[in-house]
Amino acid sequence: MADFHFDVIVVGAGPAGSCAALTLARAGRSVCLVERGPFPGAKNMYGGVIYPRVLDQLVPRWWEEAPIQRWVTRRMTMMTTPTQAITVDYRTQAWAGPPYNGATAYRPDFDAWLAGKAEGEGAVLVCSTTATGLLRDGSRVVGVRTDRPDGDLTARIVIACDGVNSFLAKEAGLYRDSDPGHFTLGVKETLALPKAVIDERFGVRDLDGVDIEIVGCTGDVPGGGFLYTNLDTLAVGVVLKLPALAAQQRRPEAIIGALKAHPAIAPLVEGGEVKEYSAHVIPEGGYEMMPTLAGDGLLVAGDAAAFCLAAGIWLEGVNFAMGSGMAAGEAANEAIARGDVTASALAGYRKRLEANFVLRDHRKLRGAPGLVLSDRVQKRYPAFICNVAERMFRVDNPAPKPGLRRIARQEMKRGGVRLRHLVKDAWAGWKAFG
Amino acid sequence: MIAACLKWVDRRPEVDPITGVVHDDNRFAGISDADQAALEWALRHAEVTGDELVVVAAGPPQAEGVLREAVACGASRAVRVEVALAAPSPTVARALASVVSSATTVWCGDYSLDRGSGSVPSFLAAELGVAQALGLVAVTLAEGAIEGLRRLDKGRRERLRVTDRAVLSVEGSTARLRRAPLSRTLAGRTATVDVVAGPREVDARVTTVRSRPYRPRPRELAAPVGSAHDRISSLTAAGTSAGGRTDPIVLDPAAAAERVLSALTTWGYRPES
Amino acid sequence: MTRSVAVVPVRDGMLAVGGDEAVAECEGRAVLVGSGCAIAARELAVTEVKMLELDDFAPGSWAVALAAHLTDVDVVVVPGSPDGRDLAPRIAHALGRPLLAGAIEVRADGASCARHGGLVIDELVVDGPFVTTLQPGVRGILNASMPAPAVEIIEGGASTRTADAEVMEVLSPDLATIDLREAPRIVAGGAGLDGATRFEQLARIASALDASVGATRVVTDRGWVGHVRQIGTTGVVVEPELYIAFGISGAVQHTSGLGTPDHIVSVNTDAHCPMMQLADLAIVCDANAVLDALEEQLSG
Ligand SMILES: Cc1cc2nc3c(=O)[nH]c(=O)nc-3n(C[C@H](O)[C@H](O)[C@H](O)COP(=O)(O)OP(=O)(O)OC[C@H]3O[C@@H](n4cnc5c(N)ncnc54)[C@H](O)[C@@H]3O)c2cc1C
Ligand SMILES: Cc1cc2nc3c(=O)[nH]c(=O)nc-3n(C[C@H](O)[C@H](O)[C@H](O)COP(=O)(O)OP(=O)(O)OC[C@H]3O[C@@H](n4cnc5c(N)ncnc54)[C@H](O)[C@@H]3O)c2cc1C
Ligand SMILES: Nc1ncnc2c1ncn2[C@@H]1O[C@H](COP(=O)(O)O)[C@@H](O)[C@H]1O
Repeated sequence: MADFHFDVIVVGAGPAGSCAALTLARAGRSVCLVERGPFPGAKNMYGGVIYPRVLDQLVPRWWEEAPIQRWVTRRMTMMTTPTQAITVDYRTQAWAGPPYNGATAYRPDFDAWLAGKAEGEGAVLVCSTTATGLLRDGSRVVGVRTDRPDGDLTARIVIACDGVNSFLAKEAGLYRDSDPGHFTLGVKETLALPKAVIDERFGVRDLDGVDIEIVGCTGDVPGGGFLYTNLDTLAVGVVLKLPALAAQQRRPEAIIGALKAHPAIAPLVEGGEVKEYSAHVIPEGGYEMMPTLAGDGLLVAGDAAAFCLAAGIWLEGVNFAMGSGMAAGEAANEAIARGDVTASALAGYRKRLEANFVLRDHRKLRGAPGLVLSDRVQKRYPAFICNVAERMFRVDNPAPKPGLRRIARQEMKRGGVRLRHLVKDAWAGWKAFG
Repeated sequence: MIAACLKWVDRRPEVDPITGVVHDDNRFAGISDADQAALEWALRHAEVTGDELVVVAAGPPQAEGVLREAVACGASRAVRVEVALAAPSPTVARALASVVSSATTVWCGDYSLDRGSGSVPSFLAAELGVAQALGLVAVTLAEGAIEGLRRLDKGRRERLRVTDRAVLSVEGSTARLRRAPLSRTLAGRTATVDVVAGPREVDARVTTVRSRPYRPRPRELAAPVGSAHDRISSLTAAGTSAGGRTDPIVLDPAAAAERVLSALTTWGYRPES
Repeated sequence: MTRSVAVVPVRDGMLAVGGDEAVAECEGRAVLVGSGCAIAARELAVTEVKMLELDDFAPGSWAVALAAHLTDVDVVVVPGSPDGRDLAPRIAHALGRPLLAGAIEVRADGASCARHGGLVIDELVVDGPFVTTLQPGVRGILNASMPAPAVEIIEGGASTRTADAEVMEVLSPDLATIDLREAPRIVAGGAGLDGATRFEQLARIASALDASVGATRVVTDRGWVGHVRQIGTTGVVVEPELYIAFGISGAVQHTSGLGTPDHIVSVNTDAHCPMMQLADLAIVCDANAVLDALEEQLSG
């Protein structure tokens, strides 16, 4: 019987890994959290909005201590053509107080805080250390090899939370061939502006913040844009379908540049000094590409398991990472308690995910990426809706006002929008989001 | 005993270009590349001589993290001297000297990232009454001696040799710090760091009245000669080149080469042939 | 009245870099220390000069020898050259005075000192005498003629032996391997050159002109020469006296790393590119052919 260094090794101190480690440490298991960055979150990037409600049970009253920038109280969805924009603008003060909804946060702050919670419960965090492979005993995973000298570390269970394109999950053979069609590229700029300027431009006060999702702003590359307010910076970026990006030969920074120059966005971002530019691959519409979630002695969580929704305007991953990390921690704890860490003993993980939002949301929204990224939603509908609005609101006397029905019919014809498609897409949307 | 002095600093401070205000981000704190090189040399040196290696940092409790990492890399003992972050170099040197007084060799980095004066090692040598060899760009650990190459001005180098007690400082490019083995990293997390009190006094003679962003000071230049018109055009000409900028001339290759060489001769870069 | 004096190390009659500026900052009052002081003094605009003739650089002993002659000086200004930076703390220690390192400007009651890699200036005020190092190149000098200086030869040194490192030899710069930052003459090539072998030729020409080789990013990206040769914002920032550009357009990322050369030569087929605008001698010609011609003329 091998003598293990730890009960569990968690690879990757992102939101998934820290939640898994926190859950296990609290249950009294010895846990080692291995992170390649100099500190958790050092190199992690994302758009900027987190939905931390999933933390309610793990860190009660998390909102009192989590390092957030602003609470999102205004969420806008914008449809654009190169010269037009139509926006649905929802705001509520209900999201400005406990238990809150979404928040903007910097990942280095948030991830370091969450990993600190795990450490506080007794997890051993080792930074500047990269897991380079799995250690096995037959088919069973019994630890990881790291890039440090004498760097083998053993445990009963390894939880791979090493992010998108998980090297460990692939090495364990949990993925079928990965199809680049299921990946999107996220690129983001952080722009510095004084807080007062942001407050004024976005019509918010104090810690209230804004989340704008934008369709139709990425030219011929299917995708979406976003603009979020931090305390004294803005995050502006785009999420782009990878194969199309390659085919179009457009540089992502040029697409962000075009978004920043859009007449509806330019006045909001004007004068912001670029503090940071970053790019990262996102597993999109995870349900289709999800790997096998457990092997003997191994679990996968977060982006590593493709638990992420990135379909144009949809950008959620941190909440799924935290939810799946917690579930993995619980399942690992149970398996260790029962003394059986085989894949079948770890099946409780998948059951947990199916019962909670992680897999349910993914199943429900499985059609969303295809719909949101379709040519119709990307280009025809925004143009159609914008043109209808334009003619509705335009006053070209002495000509009399045309009726809405007539405008709509003419614009549908002009924009190549078929009623048949509209009905079909509406139905698909209803199924996905309804 | 051999010692290495490691300064805990923010490796990536952000300086506001308008106000000169420095924003520290302690998460990026650590030791400079130069101090890492110093630690690596100290480790190699201790391996050769079999001496004990003591790592020292003068600074706040957060500095203990880097000392523990140094222990994980192989240092025998870690000491932190309690001094104020803003302590001037002589005070820091005195604090360090109290710990390393019996060291045969003290390894330092050439400059610290924040203060960047490179004076602590020199003050330390003075304090200990030992030789100094500073700003080394290459080091050789020889039998009973250490040889180093020191950067001089105008591209020259000086080869130095120390055979007795000395303070050495090295540039960051001289060595790459080894990675600590995983087992020692795990064990090093709880390594004890001895804490000693440093000099309490502050140097009341020096006050920082204000900090501001760097702006070059006006340079003194020889007054232009010639007519008022010449002077105005020379003062308004961009750049500080001695000669005025000239219009491009079209030449064939041989004539071009000749023209280049004759210009170099006129300007004094080549002897008259 | 406060008195300031520059202490300038000398090696074989050569002043430390920035020594002339330190002396100018002290209105022509200087103490020269080292070997060949009298020769070095001729290069300086000094009003009052003391000379302490000592051989190998030995900062510990030199400082002790100097201190005796500096007790009545309020502000000691040392050039921030390698020797000056090593000597100044020892002088400050011997005199028991504060050191204001890395000054860009010295006043009677303090100095403006660079911190954080030169991004921040601290204005420091000192109550009492102090020692400071003045960064070379920040000040510039006027070459005004001075009346014949008062010269005093001072003795000292031998009796006060402090532990110092042994100087084995001084190596003269090797232009082929010199850190480009320190190179006084640079011959650089850009995308206008037609291949990697041009840079071997450039190296031969450079060595005939006592110069070092530099390049643009396009060239280093192609791997024609190593990244250490790249001049510019993402390469090294150089400060040569002479800069010769072959087939370089003069993009701002390149020229911002160029310093302020006294003389610039540019050879380019495009008469209107920025490098040609900057040049003291701008020649419109195929740079490759000019290199061939140059090599021939230099060997002939
Ligand atoms: C541009 C962009 C915008 C996004 N916007 C949002 C958004 O607004 N809201 C949202 O909820 N989500 C967003 N996401 C998605 C979100 O970032 C991810 O879903 C989330 O970070 C997943 O968390 P994780 O813990 O699984 O992985 P990660 O956060 O990627 O963490 C993985 C960790 O593992 C470490 N690691 C990796 N390999 C190794 C190894 N071999 N050894 C040791 N450590 C290793 C990494 O350093 C890292 O710390 C966005 C993503 C992108 C790219
Ligand atoms: C963020 C960033 C950082 C950068 N950092 C640096 C840096 O640190 N250093 C750097 O050098 N660049 C840097 N660059 C690149 C810089 O912008 C230019 O692209 C580069 O300096 C151009 O190099 P070049 O002059 O060799 O090439 P080009 O701009 O292509 O110029 C070639 C020149 O050669 C001339 N020419 C062509 N044929 C001949 C011929 N037969 N004879 C004579 N002349 C000829 C042409 O007229 C032209 O002027 C950076 C760029 C970016 C975006
Ligand atoms: N507070 C400190 N603690 C330990 N070592 C220091 C400290 N300050 C300076 N040093 C050492 O002295 C070197 C030069 O620092 P400085 O003189 O501050 O530029 C550093 O690289 C360190 O090796």
